[in-house]
Amino acid sequence: MATIRKKKSLPGLLIGGFLFYMLLPIVATYIFSIATRWDRSILPEGLTLEWYKVAFADRWFLIVFKNSLVLSFSTVIASIVIIVPTAYWVHLRVPKARALLDLLSILPFAIPGVVLSLGLIRLYAKPPLMLARTPTMLVAAYVIFTMPFMYRPVVNSLKAVNIKVLTEAAQSLGSSWLRTMGQVILPNIMPGIISGGLLVFATIFGEFTIATFLVGARYKTFPMQLVYYTRRDGRIASAYSVISFTIAWVSSLIILWVAAWGAKRTTSGGPKKEKELKINSAGDQS
Amino acid sequence: MKFFSRKPTRKKNWWMDWIPILPFLIFCLAIMILPLFYMLKGSFTGSEGQFTLDHYAKMGASIYATSFKNSILLSGVTAILGVLLGTVVGYFICQLKSKRAQELVIALCDVTSNFSGAPLAFAFIVVLGSNGVLTLALQKYLSMDIYPEFSIYSFSGLILSYTYFQLPLMILLIIPAIAGLKNEWKEASLGLGANTIQYWRFIALPVLSPAITAGLLLLFANAFGAYATAYTLTEWNYPLVTLQLGFLLTGEVFRDPGAGDAMGILTLILMGISIMFYQLSVKRGSKWQQ
Amino acid sequence: MSYLVLTHLNKTYDGTTAVNDFSLQVEKGEFISLLGPSGCGKTTTLRMVAGFETPDSGSIHLDGEEITSIPPNHRGMGMVFQSYALFPNMTAWNNVAFGLRVAKIPTAKINNRVNELLDLVDLSDDGHKYAREMSGGQQQRVALARALAIEPRVLLLDEPLSALDAVVRVSLRHEIRRIQSALGITTIYVTHDQEEALSISDRVVVMRQAVIEQIGTPEEIYIQPQTRFVATFVGTINQFSGIMKDKQKGLVTGINGDWELSIAQISQGKIPEGAPITVFVRPEEIHVSKIDKSADYANSLQAVLKTITLLGPVTRLNLDFYGQSIIADIKTVDRHRFILNKPVELSFSREACRIMSDDDFPHDDD
Repeated sequence: MATIRKKKSLPGLLIGGFLFYMLLPIVATYIFSIATRWDRSILPEGLTLEWYKVAFADRWFLIVFKNSLVLSFSTVIASIVIIVPTAYWVHLRVPKARALLDLLSILPFAIPGVVLSLGLIRLYAKPPLMLARTPTMLVAAYVIFTMPFMYRPVVNSLKAVNIKVLTEAAQSLGSSWLRTMGQVILPNIMPGIISGGLLVFATIFGEFTIATFLVGARYKTFPMQLVYYTRRDGRIASAYSVISFTIAWVSSLIILWVAAWGAKRTTSGGPKKEKELKINSAGDQS
Repeated sequence: MKFFSRKPTRKKNWWMDWIPILPFLIFCLAIMILPLFYMLKGSFTGSEGQFTLDHYAKMGASIYATSFKNSILLSGVTAILGVLLGTVVGYFICQLKSKRAQELVIALCDVTSNFSGAPLAFAFIVVLGSNGVLTLALQKYLSMDIYPEFSIYSFSGLILSYTYFQLPLMILLIIPAIAGLKNEWKEASLGLGANTIQYWRFIALPVLSPAITAGLLLLFANAFGAYATAYTLTEWNYPLVTLQLGFLLTGEVFRDPGAGDAMGILTLILMGISIMFYQLSVKRGSKWQQ
Repeated sequence: MSYLVLTHLNKTYDGTTAVNDFSLQVEKGEFISLLGPSGCGKTTTLRMVAGFETPDSGSIHLDGEEITSIPPNHRGMGMVFQSYALFPNMTAWNNVAFGLRVAKIPTAKINNRVNELLDLVDLSDDGHKYAREMSGGQQQRVALARALAIEPRVLLLDEPLSALDAVVRVSLRHEIRRIQSALGITTIYVTHDQEEALSISDRVVVMRQAVIEQIGTPEEIYIQPQTRFVATFVGTINQFSGIMKDKQKGLVTGINGDWELSIAQISQGKIPEGAPITVFVRPEEIHVSKIDKSADYANSLQAVLKTITLLGPVTRLNLDFYGQSIIADIKTVDRHRFILNKPVELSFSREACRIMSDDDFPHDDD
């Protein structure tokens, strides 16, 4: 095609521009966190690990880091416990409920963090139900908030592995529900659970909005501290940002790796269900 | 002979199958559905507990109306930007010869589509703040002084930072659709005498339209509901719906619960409609995969 | 001057030769098949004619003018793909109308033509359907109608039936031929199915590993294969080893001299006396009888019957001939005449006995 030969540089230029736009803020933050001073010149004036030392020295650092970790892990576990057995049961026994579950799992996309916080505070922050401003309520809110992220990979995993047949095979061999769940089903949908779990973890670790409104100063989280420093000392904020970024993209990479590993594992024998797999990936949301 | 119905609900004790999913349903009810209904009720309740439409009337005025206008504008602009740029960049990513390069760029999109909130806002301050790297570079190399006309703490700053996470989201959405454009359609259209533009106009873009529509809707909802990025950049200084809601929530005493409820409900309606049409677009798109 | 002339076409990808020195002259209205196993270069050749691939060297002429560098959307060729390639966002009707709309034909004319074509492929009532609502066979017929709508100078089909099931394949291939004949369109048809190629083509080009093995009518290809590959690829054939004994009398013998056959002069070609050869005889050309019971044939051999397999109307006899295996096909109704492990007489004519020399590159005699 003559026209495309002329514009050979265009794709390169566009993708290059795109990469520049994406990477510059990230790289700049990383460099800023190790720069002695960087507000007067194109290049940093010097390099130092000072800001990390200051950040770590602050007693709040460990507290907020721990808090965020606790919140993230708790949400992941709560999420798995609430969603996975339900998704499995519905997929196996109550197909009619599937539509309802699909709807419920996408609803959180339509509810911004502020609105969810508002609703929860309005309903639960009055006596006698002074539940609203506790970390427990926060975890509950987080489970709802990240439900689409856990639900979809798990359901995709369930579809890819023929769990109905596996369950029936297990039962015909005398297995109890618990054993079937633990030794047959869970191992096979593990890739979906891990993908979902990592996504939930990364999302909650960086979540600021709901945490601020629901628990505020009572239970400070890592992102809240980051915002605090944004207004007070940009260099410490950058150290916090770097840590936040790093956790986020490491999780993403692990997710990608797990997804690939999972795809290989669950290639079960039997007639190919190509159409089903195609439709799954087309209907997948981010 | 009796005709045996195949409807599973005829089975005795069919409701027993629903028992194991009750915990989940109750949980959703308690944490998601009921609070929203409470907000709905609150939006129609005046200070003495009477039914009123006052809160909604307030929405048409000053700060509230401005917030909605700004939020819709911001979300709309970044959605359109994200869709246009995302489709073009996504197309060229699909054209890359090296599979490795493709995978790397897509992985980058995966990672950056989740970067939003305070760290992102801060990163943009580092780059385009009044002493930011790019600001200084533009001054030094192009003698361009973008301040004070431009400020990262303003609407344009919001557009730049919002587009940052909108763009990769759109790319991730559009790439499967572009990959689904079979090469043979292009060849068939060429064989029938069409040129490249006609191919795009009559075949490729129509086939991509569900994904593009889905992208517009998802990106719009995504931007509308964002809070942390805007808060970090502008605090309460730029009226956006989510920021206004946040403002009403801070402090131990509720400033105006009814107004907050009304804002929340309006937001939910807006976003609910977007997400609903998004789902429909996605379903329509999957039909092309035959 | 032939209508479509392909001259010395060459195409290489990443060091692998896909098409090597391909030359062919096609007459107007002729139906040519490119037949061969996968990877033989038939599809690449077709795509070069269509314009989707550019030959590294060589030229293509259509109706006297060179079209080698003309882009595909200006060549006026209709292409039918293996995967149908119907535009998913358009109904069957709109798919067929597409090429006409591009050519800016007035609407009334388009309407007439599309209806005419849908009628031709027997889908007049299905114009409103989308690809996903139709069976494979229906989709392929729409694809055919779409390609024919623009009144192409040449019709190109790339394994159009291989994705369909056997019954549909047989009926559809005859329809394609019928339509092609009625319209008189020059056609190139790519397939790996030899029955398909033999049953509907005017001429067949057999290809293997980027090279043309033989060009001929279906009869020539089947009855007079010129290379070892063509002989074995098309249909079933017996092969056994021997030696060229006497060129004047036209005699070949077994390696140990245990048997002798007389061959037609023309089959000898340039094979020198004493050279090792392979004898090719088709199973259905062998007349099987009790010993000494048939004097009408020029050649007869004795062999021992090992197995009898009923294949339907034909029964296949597997025989042992001095340690080599020979297959003979007889009518099933005659199967009771033969007893296992007993010797029988195999007789066949001179013409049925083809020979080729045993060197590594058996090609046509020049």
